[in-house]
Amino acid sequence: MSNMATINSNKIKLTKSRIVFNIISYLLLIALSLACLLPFIMLISGSFTSEQVIRFEGYSILPKDFTLEAYEVVFQNPEQIFRAYGVSIFVAVVGTILGLFFLTMTAYVISRKDFKYRNVISFYFYFTTLFNGGMVCTYIFYIQYLHLKDNLLALILPLMMNVFYLLIMRSFVTSIPPALIESAKIDGAGEFRIFLQIILPLLKSGLATIGLFLTLGYWNDWYNAMLYINSEEKYPLQYMLYNMLQKQEAMAQIASQAGMSVENLPTNALKLAMAVVATGPIILLYPFVQKYFVKGITIGSVKG
Amino acid sequence: MKKRFAKIAALLCALTMAASVVTSCGSKDDNSGTSGAKTGELDTSKEVELSIYVIGDRPAKQDEVEENYNKLFKEKLNCTVKTNYLSWAEYRNKYPLLFSSGEKFDMAYAASWLNFYSLAQKGAFMNLDELWPTYAPKNFAQQSETAKEQATVDGHYYGIPSLYKTYSAYGPIYRTDILEGTDWDGKMENLEDYETYLSYVKKEAPEMQPLSIVQEGAEIDELFMQERGLYPVKGALGDFLWLDPTESNPKIFTYYDYEETPEFLELVNRWNEAGYFSKSALSNTDTTEVENGKAASRIKNMGTYEGAHIQHPDWGFKFANFVSDVSYSSFMQDAFVISNTSENPERALAWYDLITSDEEAFRTWNYGIEGKSYQIVDGQVEKLNLEEYEENPLWTARTPGLFLRVFGSPADIPEMEASYDEHIKEDQGCQKFRAFNIDTSKVETEYAACINVHQQYWWPLELGYTDPVEGLKEYQQKMEAAGVDKVIEEFQRQLDEYLKNK
Amino acid sequence: MKKQGFLHEFKKNRTLFFMVLPMMILVLVLSYLPMSGLVLAFKNYRFDLGVFGSDWNGLENFRYLFVSGTGWNITKNTIVYNLINLVTSQGLAILVAIVISELSGKVFKRITQSVIFLPYFISWVIVGTFIFNIFNYETGVMNNVLKTFGMDPVNVYSIPGVWPWIICIFNAWKWVGYNSIIYIAAITNIDTECYEACDIDGANIFQKIWYITLPSMKPTIITMVLLQIGRILRGDFEMFYQIVGNNGQLFDKTDVIDTYVFRSLLTNSNLGMTAAATLYQSVLCFIIIMVVNHIVKKVEADYALF
Repeated sequence: MSNMATINSNKIKLTKSRIVFNIISYLLLIALSLACLLPFIMLISGSFTSEQVIRFEGYSILPKDFTLEAYEVVFQNPEQIFRAYGVSIFVAVVGTILGLFFLTMTAYVISRKDFKYRNVISFYFYFTTLFNGGMVCTYIFYIQYLHLKDNLLALILPLMMNVFYLLIMRSFVTSIPPALIESAKIDGAGEFRIFLQIILPLLKSGLATIGLFLTLGYWNDWYNAMLYINSEEKYPLQYMLYNMLQKQEAMAQIASQAGMSVENLPTNALKLAMAVVATGPIILLYPFVQKYFVKGITIGSVKG
Repeated sequence: MKKRFAKIAALLCALTMAASVVTSCGSKDDNSGTSGAKTGELDTSKEVELSIYVIGDRPAKQDEVEENYNKLFKEKLNCTVKTNYLSWAEYRNKYPLLFSSGEKFDMAYAASWLNFYSLAQKGAFMNLDELWPTYAPKNFAQQSETAKEQATVDGHYYGIPSLYKTYSAYGPIYRTDILEGTDWDGKMENLEDYETYLSYVKKEAPEMQPLSIVQEGAEIDELFMQERGLYPVKGALGDFLWLDPTESNPKIFTYYDYEETPEFLELVNRWNEAGYFSKSALSNTDTTEVENGKAASRIKNMGTYEGAHIQHPDWGFKFANFVSDVSYSSFMQDAFVISNTSENPERALAWYDLITSDEEAFRTWNYGIEGKSYQIVDGQVEKLNLEEYEENPLWTARTPGLFLRVFGSPADIPEMEASYDEHIKEDQGCQKFRAFNIDTSKVETEYAACINVHQQYWWPLELGYTDPVEGLKEYQQKMEAAGVDKVIEEFQRQLDEYLKNK
Repeated sequence: MKKQGFLHEFKKNRTLFFMVLPMMILVLVLSYLPMSGLVLAFKNYRFDLGVFGSDWNGLENFRYLFVSGTGWNITKNTIVYNLINLVTSQGLAILVAIVISELSGKVFKRITQSVIFLPYFISWVIVGTFIFNIFNYETGVMNNVLKTFGMDPVNVYSIPGVWPWIICIFNAWKWVGYNSIIYIAAITNIDTECYEACDIDGANIFQKIWYITLPSMKPTIITMVLLQIGRILRGDFEMFYQIVGNNGQLFDKTDVIDTYVFRSLLTNSNLGMTAAATLYQSVLCFIIIMVVNHIVKKVEADYALF
């Protein structure tokens, strides 16, 4: 981005077409930003609005009244929330570190032109995006043979490998001049040492980009928790939220079929408050990481 | 390239094969669960931990409740019980998977709406033919013949039905406070009266939706059919097949075969145009519109009425039953099953017998700790600290006599129930068909396809969203393409057989 | 010959083999081994007999997908949805990437890029609630706006045809921040000399975008498109479920394989049917990507995915 910025500031004369382009661009970006920002503001202001107001007047940009009701309910059992935060952070940190390390190492190997089987191995990974066992078979296998039930590994392992990330990472590795590797080899460095001491330090923007993707993937995942986690103390935050959101609908469905009454339902404001709590700190990660990943790459195909 | 690809394909193939070898070796020792009962006394010398799956979220202070009831169970049966919750977000995906993963657990909540019949047929539950009478004799003795027949699949018992009676009574739950001081006559005996009520609400309380309808289904159609004395073949709502119980050899039919359907469609079109319910009802998921004051009425059962009344005693909620021939709802709407992987089915049944027959055990299991999670007021149970404790969601363990009404429940419910009890005669009217369980195994494909077509074409039709004439034609055409005739033919055969043995 | 080749390669690059091994094992265990369960697709599954002990029942499980023509309709819907999504999602991301890269205000760019990332964090459950609040006939935002301008309210729920578009637009909106990252990176990679040469030739900004930026992005775009095509038979279940739910009115245009299978599982707990659907999706994805890749290779070998 930095080199782009320099041409832009030095060379651009405000020609007519440039003015037209700038107007269109700013309008487009502002419109899009509003479209992205407003729902978010509605979500936050809704979480501070009382239940009755939401029910009768719907969501609005500015809160029509102000109450902490919903947050009081969310935090009436604070240890539950903090524990869920703990699980989410643990899974995201461990998963991202392990995933980054092994993904980068794999990407490095399949980017090496002198490694004969690089394309076969790439395809071996790619094939799993076309074919998979599906929810049922995977579930049975994980529980019955891998004994992943109620095990945090069930949240970490399945998201460690992602072909899309692997391809991006390989593009980052490819942009490192092969001569560096050659000269290190001549100096007598082993492959693993070359990877650790020469390649990894040069991959800052790649690590930042994929690290962000991995972290977000872990943070937003509730699906694996739904399938494999049983005890509440191991619920990650997103699943806790998802569970609360689904409760009302599910209970109503059951009530319509079994002859029972429904009481004590979570409310709209509560939904939004939970969403705010669950998004919380992760949202700050993006601007923080942003400055690292603006380096240029061209994502390549499966074959190298 | 082709060659390389062939190589890769061969490799992948080999991997998959290897996988099946690995997995098939592992699966050999799965089915070693106990089968067949030993006669004689229950041996309680060894302490065991029983585990049960129920549906719901684990209440915050469940540990406390668990400790409390385990003291009792340990003393009575030398066992403890661990409750596992399948939470609201996951039960739909995970419930059938639970029985396929080979996980060792003892008991589970089951229900007809959780596909009890289909699961039982596919071998998900343990056969209880001998175990049930032997180890849960008190429970077995209390069961009605109808209930036992309902629990029978392919000639065997696979589940224990609930002892609790619920009724097929169905109709509007409506607020009367909003029409006070108007000239509304308060009559509510049939759909016509209801239409009058809706028109008054529209006029007198325009800010309210007269009738709340959500995407789980409108149920006006089912009310219409049951008002005419018809019986849903499945024995529960949410289906498309009906029969007339007054015929001696009833023929199964569906909506487009029924002569009054055009009249029904006219009615809902009228209601739709008048704006009695939302035009986007099928995407509405807010099921509490009535309870939170956004809508004036909804169509549901007595349980919902009870809940609404307890929540808002001053809104003048009333319930009117439009089902002309009330019968007992299936006792398999809530049920209890033993898992195939259970190692202690005898103890599990003995335990179930205990909690469904012993008052102390029943209360510690269902209501929790007296004074903390519940108290008894005037023979009714008042639940306390609902955020921390909740009633145990094993809804099937509600034994009449032990199960108490919730504090604040409307006074007219016992009266209504008494009148239904008086009305219901075994082997007469709708009740005669209650023990008939449809077996979908032979037409599983067609039946699933029909349910799908029904949802896609009938639901919009029954709310007047599609043209009553053209829409009905299209519905019929799609149902026929999905194989409804084959489904009806098969169910008719089963029904004829059932009536022959009756 | 082949074996020798492998041994030779193994000796030469032993460390590299060991470095790639952990991920290969992980994928073998987590992805390849569970595929063996797909034999379920050809079995009449019984819980007491297990996956491998149940009886074979031929193609019976596939029949339900195709009874009454539903199979074709949901296959068509899935493909149509994915194609629209390809255009809207990737199109929006490319557009945003180009515009962001061309503008000069650094702070403005930073903020915009962060802001458009926000929808990524709003879960589909909440998006679904918002969508109902916008389009609901009686109290929806859209109809309120129409009414204030004196126009007739529109019942969007009675027009199934617009829903694939609504879904795709929301999907594009949700992913625009995420997707544009990769395109911005691709643009940054373009040699600045190209632009300078263009400036000397007197090309205007639109010509520069058309003749330099877009062609330079081509490899990235094609790779992204091919990756998406490899998933053309899969629908994001959560998104469809939260937006459309059980609304049968819209199924004609919005029912995809994943939602249909989910609903069927609710009515009959037949695990064999779900496995059959998974296998059907996998095989079709495989065939389609093979064909498309083959065509790409014929036209421009460098851009092929493999």
